[in-house]
Amino acid sequence: MSRPDPTNTHCPYCALQCAMSLAGDDVSELEVKGRDFPTNNGGMCQKGWTSAAVLSTPDRITSPLIKDADGELRSASWGAALDLVAAQIRVTQEKYGEDSVAVFGGGGLTNEKAYALGKFARTVLRTPNIDYNGRFCMASAAAAVNRSLGIDRGLPFPLTDLGGAQAILLLGSNVAETMPPSLRHFAGARERGGLVVVDPRRSATAALTEDGAGMHLQPVPGTDLVVLLALLHIVWAENLADRDYLSDRTSGAGDVRRSVATWWPERAEQVCGIAADELRQVARALAAASASRGGTGAYILTGRGVEQSTQGTATVTAAINLALALGLPGRQGSGYGAITGQGNGQGGREHGQKSDQLPGYRKIDDPLARAHVAKVWGVDPASIPGPGKPAVQLLQDLGTSGGPKILMVHGSNLAVSAPNAGNVIDRLRSLDMLVVCDFVPSETALLADVVLPVTQWAEEEGTMTSLEGRVIRRRKALDPPEGVRSELEVLAELAARLAPSVSFDTDPSVVFDELARASAGGPADYSGLSHERLDSEPVSGYYWPVPRPDHPGTPRLFQDGFPTTDGKARMVAVDHVGPNEDLRADAPIYLLTGRVLSHYQSGAQTRRISELNRAEPAPYVEMHPLLAIRLGVDDGDAVRLTTSRGSIEAVARWNDKIRPDSVFMPFHWGGSGSVNQITNDATDPISGMPEFKVCAVDVQCLAKVSR
Amino acid sequence: MTDKKVVVVGNGMVGSRFVEDLVARDPDERFQITVLGAEEYAPYNRVLLSEVVAGNVGVASLTLPSTNDSPRARIMRGTTAIALDRRGRRVITADGGVHPYDYVVLAAGSKARIPATRGLSPIGGLPAGVHALRTLDDAREIVAATVNARRAVVVGGGVLGLEAACGLAKRGLRVTLLHGSSNVMGRQLGPEAAAVVARAVAGLDIDLRTDVVTEQFVLRDGRVTAVRFAAEQIDTDLVVLACGTIPETVIASSAGLSVAEGVVVNRNLASPDDPCVFAIGDCAQPSEGSSGLIAQGWEQSRRLAAQLTRSRAPESPTLIRDTPRRPSMALRIAMEHLSSAQLDARGTDVVRLKAAGLDVVTMGARPDAANSAQRVVRLSDPAAGRFLEVVVEDGRLTGAVCVGSGQVGADLVVTYTRGTPVPTDPAYLLLRSLGGTPATANDPTAMPEDTAVCRCNGVTKRDIVTGWRDGAATLDQIASVTRATTGCGGCKEAVAGLIDWMAKSDPDRSSSPIGGAGGENSVTAPKHAVTTAKPLMHSAETRRG
Repeated sequence: MSRPDPTNTHCPYCALQCAMSLAGDDVSELEVKGRDFPTNNGGMCQKGWTSAAVLSTPDRITSPLIKDADGELRSASWGAALDLVAAQIRVTQEKYGEDSVAVFGGGGLTNEKAYALGKFARTVLRTPNIDYNGRFCMASAAAAVNRSLGIDRGLPFPLTDLGGAQAILLLGSNVAETMPPSLRHFAGARERGGLVVVDPRRSATAALTEDGAGMHLQPVPGTDLVVLLALLHIVWAENLADRDYLSDRTSGAGDVRRSVATWWPERAEQVCGIAADELRQVARALAAASASRGGTGAYILTGRGVEQSTQGTATVTAAINLALALGLPGRQGSGYGAITGQGNGQGGREHGQKSDQLPGYRKIDDPLARAHVAKVWGVDPASIPGPGKPAVQLLQDLGTSGGPKILMVHGSNLAVSAPNAGNVIDRLRSLDMLVVCDFVPSETALLADVVLPVTQWAEEEGTMTSLEGRVIRRRKALDPPEGVRSELEVLAELAARLAPSVSFDTDPSVVFDELARASAGGPADYSGLSHERLDSEPVSGYYWPVPRPDHPGTPRLFQDGFPTTDGKARMVAVDHVGPNEDLRADAPIYLLTGRVLSHYQSGAQTRRISELNRAEPAPYVEMHPLLAIRLGVDDGDAVRLTTSRGSIEAVARWNDKIRPDSVFMPFHWGGSGSVNQITNDATDPISGMPEFKVCAVDVQCLAKVSR
Repeated sequence: MTDKKVVVVGNGMVGSRFVEDLVARDPDERFQITVLGAEEYAPYNRVLLSEVVAGNVGVASLTLPSTNDSPRARIMRGTTAIALDRRGRRVITADGGVHPYDYVVLAAGSKARIPATRGLSPIGGLPAGVHALRTLDDAREIVAATVNARRAVVVGGGVLGLEAACGLAKRGLRVTLLHGSSNVMGRQLGPEAAAVVARAVAGLDIDLRTDVVTEQFVLRDGRVTAVRFAAEQIDTDLVVLACGTIPETVIASSAGLSVAEGVVVNRNLASPDDPCVFAIGDCAQPSEGSSGLIAQGWEQSRRLAAQLTRSRAPESPTLIRDTPRRPSMALRIAMEHLSSAQLDARGTDVVRLKAAGLDVVTMGARPDAANSAQRVVRLSDPAAGRFLEVVVEDGRLTGAVCVGSGQVGADLVVTYTRGTPVPTDPAYLLLRSLGGTPATANDPTAMPEDTAVCRCNGVTKRDIVTGWRDGAATLDQIASVTRATTGCGGCKEAVAGLIDWMAKSDPDRSSSPIGGAGGENSVTAPKHAVTTAKPLMHSAETRRG
């Protein structure tokens, strides 16, 4: 099919969803161009520019694969593969019950696919056991924001609003590596000397505070909550709070104020390692930037660094408390936001692939929500299962007695991206059947009994919801290779075999219309949108909620109140407990994990692009020279990292940007250098989010580099 | 189901924390708690009273979280316990109340030590103008007095005395600080460190007199007008006594319990004379001694709550070693290394002065000449107001004194409490590392060819030069062939600089040094000239810890 005009779409990777165009009708000659859009202004990072290369990756899967008796994955027909999956599901459910089949989704799936997956689990499989990798990313922020502000939209304001800020407090986010084009929006705060970055590493983002652009606080790993509690203490102690706002727009301030009375700066200093006066300076700068004190505005933003923690919900709550004390949320030019990571991390958590939710960000245990969604689905509300287990628990239960026997994986590479991944791999191997939908032989696909090859971003239509809650269009630029089907087709085929009474459409625009109806009246209301409406605008995108076809969308939430029972934001007192696993004699060093610019997530896509692989070909361990010398490790030596979950090996890189009590590893690789083999799968008690970001490790020199 | 009555004597920082800790660990409501607090106020943060005096913190910010009064936890404020009837297992209060208990927890704290000096009556209140600094009322009265006072005398050069003196000086009073021995903060500092602190105190316009015995508080009409010492007399409007504290032990000793400085307790925080009586916080005297620091009291509170909620035997509280699931961070590390006697103290003995202009942190062991395993490294720099001393034993930091060193002090506390590996040469603990990252020179001629000019797209100077050679002449053209500037846009200036430089030195894209004939090296300056170290302060910021 010839497509003379470039196709306007968005980058396949992170939640910034940089606008791009794809020109050309041959996969090998596809030209990627940046497209003007408010968030990326035509810019893209290396990942975006090279994104088309995955479309023509030599090891693209173009035929269903079935594991044979020898354990080899062999090509099979679609009919045979789908029949096998359907038959095995039927047999297993008859034997062990409906709960014995589980589904694991992903934050990279389009809204349409995420919706269809949730519907499939609840209406065809009738299993409560569906969750997704967003549990690893956004669950703590979502839990805290829902509790405090009544609705969870990552950024409840347009990203471009950041540009006018006098100060931005950024905790646990390395946007300079993860979404570089977003840095444009931090330029204003930097010019005003107001960028404050909290990170145990002097990351590329933290380095942006240099030369008078702001401050970098480098806390002890796992103590970001203390930094926030101390800032809040100072705001109140020095009478910097926005009293009118607190009394008019919040509840619970008294309890929170008393709770931070114990976190005076000199005490906080002893726990978080940030000098008391530095904490005071930051609190004063934020207060001075707030509107109530005549500033042009302040933002507090959190990322995975503080959220992937057993006290992640508490930490985000403290960030919100600080924002509320300064009167930021719901005031144009100020606010609190969580920076969503995955491409559709926002939409992915709104349409029903989360264990406790139904489309429209509805709660699955809410009878009204069940009734509404059941009607759209054409099923009996009572047939919709209740809440299932959150991701980590679901994975831990796989293949155990009473646990799921079949797992279907969509848009996720668990074998690399899950915490304590060695255990996850064991659990996957113990299943009766693992079904993986993927377009490349990822580490997880290679463990599967059945692999179903699916379309990639440039081969499909759909919508994504970006980090600012903007619903945007993903468009098809070329036809998928022969033998590849979209997940919508896969689910419809399986539904036809297992529960023909429930209808599953395969046209993304029709699925979107159904999703819109299902979301109507929910917090994330898309009912005023359609592919057609999204296509009719020159710059596509509407901020949800969009409750009516004539509704202009909602760029800024909370301007007139908070969607809580009394319209006020709830301040909730929280306290610091510390990481689940702390240092001990045989693991006296903190292990931190994170990302590099040239790779995305588990690396299943980016490791297949030679330009990106050249930039960062292998895992490494960042180590301060003072620690390295003490351990006898030279730059370039191989080291072994051991935690209570196992050992991995990688090459040491001397780097003075990290605290000498910590080492850092990026997590984009599988195999013996896969850091998630040894990360901690302890979870936050409220959000179920695992503690990827800090655990205790022992480091030993393995082999001296040859010189 | 309630089956145990716990009476807590004291509703201060430790007593109220203990109730919180106990309630949090007792979801089955096995304990019915009564709290007897002598003060009328809700529990408040006593540690910050000196900050109130200094005007840094409002009184309203001192109020601590406290368990609400409920059938499960009766909080009785303004109710003073006057007797402990151990035989009858009940506490008697001043208002005639009788409170039966299964366990009683003494958390009555301590009171200010009032020196036996002429002018001060050993019984009855202090004369007008003379204040201790122990209660909220004390702080309020001192703040009120500063409105009309011009001169103040602070008696006692320990932590509280220094903080009070600095606070009053900050309010604009002329302050004299009288200290009985030669070293300020004598409990924490040796002579050298104390001398550095003394210089800093003088720098804050505080008149510090050491080795001074206060002889008399001169009163006129019941109000203090002067302080007399060593044949000298200083007129004053206000006196603050910071002469230490005395643990509240009266009801314990009357009840026949062992009392030394404080109520003697064993490893389980119980009196050796009565397993149903516990003491925590300032009024207690554990085997390792009471530090008077809140961290120790809170640690004891947590430990006792864990111990009681685990104990099910009705008559004797558990004597098993306390290994809670989540001990404090400092303790968790310490457990592996320290004897049980040290266990209680480790990590809770950090002293951090709170006073603008005085930067003092101390922790842990002092140098011990008899201990050959110790390495002690010292940095003495009195002219710069700096003194540092670290004690390292077996590869770990076991003690430190840190004056005038800012972030280094914070780093040492972390190293000490977490037990993280110290550098092979402990001298590195005394300074912030300069780091080894040189800044890239912005001068295009000085930039090495493999410098990443555009991080977002991994574009090096070599790529840009190549693009220029191939005909790209403007920023846009360079961007379209190299993708430089198309990520975050932060490198625009650098790329424009490179273009200007190339345009100037090689307008026709052929001649050396840009031309291809000159070879790769011709486009770069020699390696040694390519980077410049950033200024010291900046480098020092590149790492922490």
